Amino acid sequence: MRLAALAVAALLALAGCGGGSDSRKASTTADARPALRIGTKNFPEQFLLGEIYKQALEARGFPVELKANIGSSEIIHQALTDGALDMYPEYIGVLLSEVANVRVRPKSPDAAYRRAQAFEATQGFALLTPSPFSDQNALAVKPAYAGRHHLRDIQDLKRVPGTVRIGAPPEFQTRFEGLVGLDQLYGLHNAKARPLAIGSQYAALDSGRVDVAAVFTTDGQLASGRYVILRDPRGVFGTQHVSPIISRTALTRYGPKLRTIIDTVSKRLTAPAMQRMNAQVQIDRRATADVADEFLRGQGLK
Amino acid sequence: MTRASEGSRLVRRTLRTPITTRVLLLSAAASVLIGAVMVVLIVAVTAQRDAARSAFRSQEALAAGNQLEKSLITIENGVRGYVASRREKFLDPANEALTSYPGEVRRLTSLVDDDPGQQARARDIGGEIDDYVALWARPLIGLARTRPASARSVVITNGGRERLDTIQRDFASLFARERAVINAREDRAEMGSARAIAIGAGGLALVLLVAAGVTLYLRRSVVRPVVTVADATGRLAGGDLSARVPARRHDELGDLARGFNAMADSLQRSRDQLEHSNAELKRSNAELDQFASVTSHDLQAPLTTISMYAELIERRHAADLNGGMALVDGIRGATQEARTLIRDLLEYSRAGRGELALEEIDARDLVARALEALAGPIEAAHAHVHVHDDLPVVRVDRAGVCRVLQNLVGNAVKFNVPGRPPEVEIGAGRDGDMWRLWVRDNGIGMDPKDAERIFEPFKRLHGEEAYPGTGIGLAICERIIAQHGGRIWVTSRPGEGSEFSFTLPGAEA
Repeated sequence: MRLAALAVAALLALAGCGGGSDSRKASTTADARPALRIGTKNFPEQFLLGEIYKQALEARGFPVELKANIGSSEIIHQALTDGALDMYPEYIGVLLSEVANVRVRPKSPDAAYRRAQAFEATQGFALLTPSPFSDQNALAVKPAYAGRHHLRDIQDLKRVPGTVRIGAPPEFQTRFEGLVGLDQLYGLHNAKARPLAIGSQYAALDSGRVDVAAVFTTDGQLASGRYVILRDPRGVFGTQHVSPIISRTALTRYGPKLRTIIDTVSKRLTAPAMQRMNAQVQIDRRATADVADEFLRGQGLK
Repeated sequence: MTRASEGSRLVRRTLRTPITTRVLLLSAAASVLIGAVMVVLIVAVTAQRDAARSAFRSQEALAAGNQLEKSLITIENGVRGYVASRREKFLDPANEALTSYPGEVRRLTSLVDDDPGQQARARDIGGEIDDYVALWARPLIGLARTRPASARSVVITNGGRERLDTIQRDFASLFARERAVINAREDRAEMGSARAIAIGAGGLALVLLVAAGVTLYLRRSVVRPVVTVADATGRLAGGDLSARVPARRHDELGDLARGFNAMADSLQRSRDQLEHSNAELKRSNAELDQFASVTSHDLQAPLTTISMYAELIERRHAADLNGGMALVDGIRGATQEARTLIRDLLEYSRAGRGELALEEIDARDLVARALEALAGPIEAAHAHVHVHDDLPVVRVDRAGVCRVLQNLVGNAVKFNVPGRPPEVEIGAGRDGDMWRLWVRDNGIGMDPKDAERIFEPFKRLHGEEAYPGTGIGLAICERIIAQHGGRIWVTSRPGEGSEFSFTLPGAEA
């Protein structure tokens, strides 16, 4: 059908039937393309990223279908592999350690990116330009708890008597950037993971149901100063710049313009911008779509 | 202008609303009413049937939705079971459900296609299920094959359950809406059918009421006036010419009543005139009879005196008169003639008056007596009289009928053809419920055109010289027979004899 339309458009162009008719054919052709299916993982920052890419692309006339809140890296990457998605924003560190199964930390973010890009290429995907911000995983505690046990870095948790209860998403249990890495790099045998829905770990920490919370460094809650991040001298949590993973098929289908738009957006995702938007969504309870819209307009991308 | 056209002008007055129009309007109104009731009933029945149909469809939609939900739970349980155990057998039912669910979605969508809102809901659910399968169930199965531990950690996040919860919530809202639709339709249909039954019953009652009303109306405004006119007609036919009917209406029945009244008026006028004429006639007849009676009676005395004086002259002065005796004889003859005339006149004036002394008598006795009285003239004329044996018994006045027979037989003997001896025949036969007696002769007969006139008094067809008589006999006969309720007539031809007939009541009457 689309081929037929293109053929007709080409024939009309050859016959010199005028530009108006051509442009109309072209727009019809663009509209007839299937929507680009963007997936997001299961926490607010991902929802924001999904909205930002979606709105930016739609503003340029690309049809987009957003599939939000799919799940952790493990499942969303599998969905991408299955062909149920065309693209999703991923954190390079998690991608390497949990999907590519690379347990040795690369020396620099650039090295990590190249490593990840090489991995995705073998899967038939492209890793687009990474964001300036990095949303690392981290362990946070209440200042009182840190004071009581003289905690400065993750290693100090070993000295805490009894069990250290870490509130974290369920996958923390099986991840290298989780109990596996903590055990290997820090020998933290006394830690136990308490599976929690992402976003609820701060409340669990406040109420004392857990001692430590697995958090993202871009979380809006961290700006309040009510929590202390434990340092990670052995680098169990990798740098987590965000880079959209997209299928090669989609790149071919939508052309280079798509990549340009996505890259332009990714380059504007700085740490302050991300933290501000996260705070607006998580603390101010603003609608994700509105926050994304405001950001894009502020950046002149919409 | 004649009275008849006046009458019809009277009848053809203003027809304000003719009965025909009124009956037509009533019928039309009744038909429209019945038609309306029928339409309402049909609409209600159709609505009921549609409601039943769509309720059945909705039930099917609910069943399809339930089946779909079951398939989803089968998938989720299968995936979870496989992730937990890595046993392929857990996937068998899930794989089956993964194959069958798109058809179930299509079936559900098509079953709710009569409601755009529901169809949108079904499509949304279909999309959510597709997402659940493509973004959860299938990736999880793939992940479980390569990295079972990761798959288990993903299952714990309950992403699938959350999606299923959402889908089930949407199902619940779809079901609730579908049930609401069913209930609303059933309520509407029930209300409609209740209303239809009420309207049907009401309409039926109304139709019956209208029918009763029409019947009453027709009875009051058509049947009763017609019956009134019919009664009046009966009274009119019975002789009550004063019968009238009210004629206030302005329709066909008003015309009928007015026509009847006009007819009755006209009849009464005619009868009044007739009665008046009859009375006049009776009075003048009576006066005439009285006059005749008085005159003839009063004339008797002078005639007797004249006759007596002629007798005295003859007896005392016969010698003195010489040839004058012939004159005296002339006086005596004329006096005798006048006395006969006066006697006949008296008899005529008396005939037909006074009471009849009716008795049952064998007509043969009457004939015998008449012949006895006429024995002289019969013999003188050498007449032969033949009387039939089969004469009836009649109920008559003896003297009167004797007189009639005597007159008729006398005439038969008298009016004979010279040189031909009279042959007289007397017989009888039935004439309706009366008896006809007849007297036939071979006499001179008469012209048929005179047959009527001869019953008038003093009517003579011949000169007195040829056949003597006063000419009053047949008039007397006519009166006597008429008084008996019969009639008298003659059939005759000149020179061929006559046959006089008269009718009398039989003994049985």
